[in-house]
Amino acid sequence: MTDLQIPAKPRGRWKPYAATLVIVAITAVTLSPQWGIAFGFDAISRNWQNGVGKILEMLSPDFSFFPRTVAPLLETLQMAVIATLVGSLLGLPLSMWAARPTNPNSVTRTLVRTALNIVRSVPDLLYAAVLVAMVGVGALPGILALVMFNLGTIVKLVSESIEANDTGLLEAGSAAGGTRAQINRALALPEVAPAFINQTLYVFELNVRASTVLGLVGAGGLGLLIDAVRTFYRYDQLSLIILEILILVLLLDKFSDVIRRRLV
Amino acid sequence: MAPATTAVPPAPPGTPFAIRMREVTVRYPNGVVALDRISLDIEAGEMVSVVGLSGSGKSSLIRTINALVPVTSGELEVGGHRIDGARGRELRAVRGQIGMIFQGFNLAKRTTVLNNVLVGRLSHAPWWRTMLGAYTAADRRLAFEALDRVEILPKAYQRAADLSGGQAQRVAIARALTQEPRLVLADEPVASLDPPTAHAVMGDLRRINQDLGITVLTNLHLLDLARRYGTRLIGLRAGRIVYDGDAASADDAVFEEIYGRSIGAQDVLEK
Ligand SMILES: Nc1ncnc2c1ncn2[C@@H]1O[C@H](COP(=O)(O)OP(=O)(O)OP(=O)(O)O)[C@@H](O)[C@H]1O
Ligand SMILES: [Mg+2]
Repeated sequence: MTDLQIPAKPRGRWKPYAATLVIVAITAVTLSPQWGIAFGFDAISRNWQNGVGKILEMLSPDFSFFPRTVAPLLETLQMAVIATLVGSLLGLPLSMWAARPTNPNSVTRTLVRTALNIVRSVPDLLYAAVLVAMVGVGALPGILALVMFNLGTIVKLVSESIEANDTGLLEAGSAAGGTRAQINRALALPEVAPAFINQTLYVFELNVRASTVLGLVGAGGLGLLIDAVRTFYRYDQLSLIILEILILVLLLDKFSDVIRRRLV
Repeated sequence: MAPATTAVPPAPPGTPFAIRMREVTVRYPNGVVALDRISLDIEAGEMVSVVGLSGSGKSSLIRTINALVPVTSGELEVGGHRIDGARGRELRAVRGQIGMIFQGFNLAKRTTVLNNVLVGRLSHAPWWRTMLGAYTAADRRLAFEALDRVEILPKAYQRAADLSGGQAQRVAIARALTQEPRLVLADEPVASLDPPTAHAVMGDLRRINQDLGITVLTNLHLLDLARRYGTRLIGLRAGRIVYDGDAASADDAVFEEIYGRSIGAQDVLEK
């Protein structure tokens, strides 16, 4: 062997080491007594008797309370359905705008991505609190808050799935003289459909759970009722509501399983 | 932009496209010069094979012709339409008449064969119809006829994912035919197919050329296929044309000239 011409080593090989270092540093800071979060397990030992009492109360749910939970339960479900529908219908085109293969224009892509990063960084409870102040107590602010949450989640995950897909087929659309919108409709859409349906079902499940919490700030659904019984220390009634949510989520899980198997 | 020195007026409807390249250079953003001042005339209705080593610029040549890769300098005309510098609606209209076939088929696997073939109507059908997926009966008829021509009509409603390699490439050919193309570009169309399937697909391309009169330009790295299915052979090396002549009379010496090395068993399909 003579004259083996080894190509120059690409730069950037130090990146994994740097990443490891940063992670270790962050962990160390988090656990350090000066800068880290302050927490201790002694709080549990101090208050455990208190906790046991509550748990015993919760073990005997007050079933006579059921009729009063029906309407809020349905409202929670309705909020989740509407928010999922609106969020996913808006999220699909936005996902395509946010992904490189379906939107090569870096200006609009960055714009959409940045906007959605901001949308996603605000917690849904904060949306709900602000919206309740703006449009008043009820299901509407809850739905709007959930739509914001859904947009953030769907666009992030679906656009990432578009970027992970093979892009050769989109090139076939360009070669045939299609516009970007035509190509996305005819070729990108069928390819992302499974990921999109999965994400939609997933946010629906999250919405059912979240809409119970949103009520705590006045944004409709079961949360309003939870807030009321909690104020009167009716842990037996609270436990009935929790039981209902549990059953609802389990049912929805089955339901989305069935849909997933049919469609994906 | 310099005034167009158009030699030929746009080809009349239905007639095949000719290609005219003058001093065309393609330099990629990373500095690689893939095509180096290429001048080339391909007549309407020709069946041309392009051969060359890996990295010689075959794909770049084909992808420059339909502007998937931009011309860095020089002039390029396809069917009398200026391609270098063409953009937007004008470019899409020309692309709509150029069918392209890829080594990796490039089908949308999760949708039906028919939907894939209808992609060939994207630049012809009204915008709203393509967005709704509501193609006219005439468009659908074109798609079915194209599928029939490559003998794969029974698969029309099957998912593209369930096709074999040979079937997938025929669907891709049908997609190109559905465009009612005046030029077909094929980039290593049989590189991932077994020998009998490779012959069947090359036979399809030849029939497109002979029966429909469409200009066909095919990249190949197998010499016997290039010789057998092309009437004209173009040899590329390092982005330059080093051979241009009759395909049938190109012997091994010609290929050794193009490749710059001796010909081995890996360069032919039939051992
Ligand atoms: N998108 C690109 N960006 C940068 N360089 C590229 C790109 N595509 C091709 N090249 C380079 O341009 C040169 C010609 O590549 P091209 O793909 O045209 O060759 P080819 O003859 O088709 O090769 P193969 O037989 O392997 O397909 C090669 O050096 C390649 O590395
Ligand atoms: Mg190639």
